Amino acid sequence: MAFGGEIILRARSWQRLFRFGGVATVAALSPSSYGPAARAIAVRQIYLTAWKVLPGYLAFSALLSVVIIEILRNSELVRSAAEALGRTQVDTALELVLRVLVLELIPLLTALFVALRSGAAIGAEIALMRVNGELEDRHGRGASPLHAELVPRIAAAALSVFSLTSFSVALAMYLAYTSFFGGSNAGLVMYTRIVGHLFDLQILIGLLLKCLLFGLAVALIPLATGLEAERGQLQTIPAAVLAGLMKLFLVIGVIEVLSLMIKYV
Amino acid sequence: MDQKPDSSASSAPFVPRNLGIRVGMLLAFAITVAVALVVYVLHARGTFEEFQRLTLVTDNAEGVAPGMDLTFAGFPIGRVRRLSLNPDGTAGIHIRVPLDNARWLRATTVFTLEVGLVGGAKLRAYTSSLQDPPLPDRAQRPVLRGDTAQEIPKMVATLRNALENVDRMTEVDSSLDRSLANLRTVTGRMAGKHGVLGGVLGGEDNARKVILALDRANALLASLNGVSLKLDSVLTKTDQQVLGPGGVVEETRKAVRQANAILTEVGAQLKRVDTILADAQAVASNAKVATTDLGALRAEVEASLRKVSALIDEINRKWPFERDTRVKLP
Repeated sequence: MAFGGEIILRARSWQRLFRFGGVATVAALSPSSYGPAARAIAVRQIYLTAWKVLPGYLAFSALLSVVIIEILRNSELVRSAAEALGRTQVDTALELVLRVLVLELIPLLTALFVALRSGAAIGAEIALMRVNGELEDRHGRGASPLHAELVPRIAAAALSVFSLTSFSVALAMYLAYTSFFGGSNAGLVMYTRIVGHLFDLQILIGLLLKCLLFGLAVALIPLATGLEAERGQLQTIPAAVLAGLMKLFLVIGVIEVLSLMIKYV
Repeated sequence: MDQKPDSSASSAPFVPRNLGIRVGMLLAFAITVAVALVVYVLHARGTFEEFQRLTLVTDNAEGVAPGMDLTFAGFPIGRVRRLSLNPDGTAGIHIRVPLDNARWLRATTVFTLEVGLVGGAKLRAYTSSLQDPPLPDRAQRPVLRGDTAQEIPKMVATLRNALENVDRMTEVDSSLDRSLANLRTVTGRMAGKHGVLGGVLGGEDNARKVILALDRANALLASLNGVSLKLDSVLTKTDQQVLGPGGVVEETRKAVRQANAILTEVGAQLKRVDTILADAQAVASNAKVATTDLGALRAEVEASLRKVSALIDEINRKWPFERDTRVKLP
């Protein structure tokens, strides 16, 4: 019986993951992958991963945003830092809010949320298909399981991460503005200046790249690890699913740490 | 077992029919939001604005970083894009100013770089007259640098100098110390028996002498007062004797009157002499006869002349100012 830990440490498993990732990404980007059946699977997956959880997720991210905004807005530490830097407190606190929420916390939490909400389910689904031999059967019938079953799910997971991230980032930016300046548009010039100050081209590209990598990781890793289950051996399913989730967390963590290192070190 | 994948694949019993539309809307909305965010950030970065370039030249760009604001009247009007080290060793601060804000910069605008004790550096623009010609694109301007941190060593050196001076002034046996000791002695004397006088003159003895001298001067003044009173009475007496009734002047006036009468008498006698001389002429022939008469007459004339002489002597005696005009004080 293979445990998740063992699978994680297996170099071949990572090798396979990267190979699968490359193939699947290419397949996901080619329009020919999306037949009517594939589209139906993708739409259903997006519906389950993004649409159904949207209100709950937005409420959660709004709550988190408001809490963090209020902490930073009233922080004595931020005030003294602003004084030491010779800047206004609003400037400093707003920049911190945007850095913490928009650049780091929301993309990370969205990726983790989608991973928990769908990654486990997709992994289990694929592992089960693998155990049942369904994928090989289809392959044998001349149909490409990659195109029919996997690519739509990959694209759907990536698009879900993208949608949820952009919604909650927009919501956090709106909440940050209203917390600092109220309902009026009086602070818009200042807000725009701070945003322009913060998001230089590297940061912006870095953020987009990070979101893309998170989406890819969330879509690919559980699925690819689900394929590690062995045909006819039901007991390999939990190990494969668990390994998929753990790999996913590891990869998300590595991406986050790398992005922080590139930005600040 | 075979049923499982199917059940999981269709494990959405409440999937609504217009699923495609909903998901399409969701994706369209997400893409719109994402594009709007990116456009907003690019707009905030000034990607869609026209810029004027400006290079500030300084010998030390320490504290300046890309992204820093250039402020005018406290408002950010431009942003540092990059820094460069010029071949001549100066530092170039390349700034982009949106065309909207470029009107605040004129040919005469002065740029300053202030590095405070705490906080980052600040780039500021000062325009004295907005009527001056506008700053041309890609202009190069020097930047005046005010660095608090640089001033500190100088200030410390000056301060140490000043403190050393103070130290020298206040040490034991310094001139200030001695002056203060002298001052203490003087004020001690001033507080003594003879007060300020003792302090100024430097001792009790001297002060006593001065006081004695003053006392003597006072006595002298009192006696002088008596003298002047006596003098006053003497003068009054003199006045009375000279000008008062029976005084010298009146006596003199009387004597003059007498002299006048005597002179009149002398005049009459001389007339008689004249007639007698005429007679004498007439009787020249018998002069010898008349000699006895002449002798008697001459004796008479001589007597008269003696009287005149005596009178004049008396006048002289009684008119004391004639010869000796000084008033003899008793």
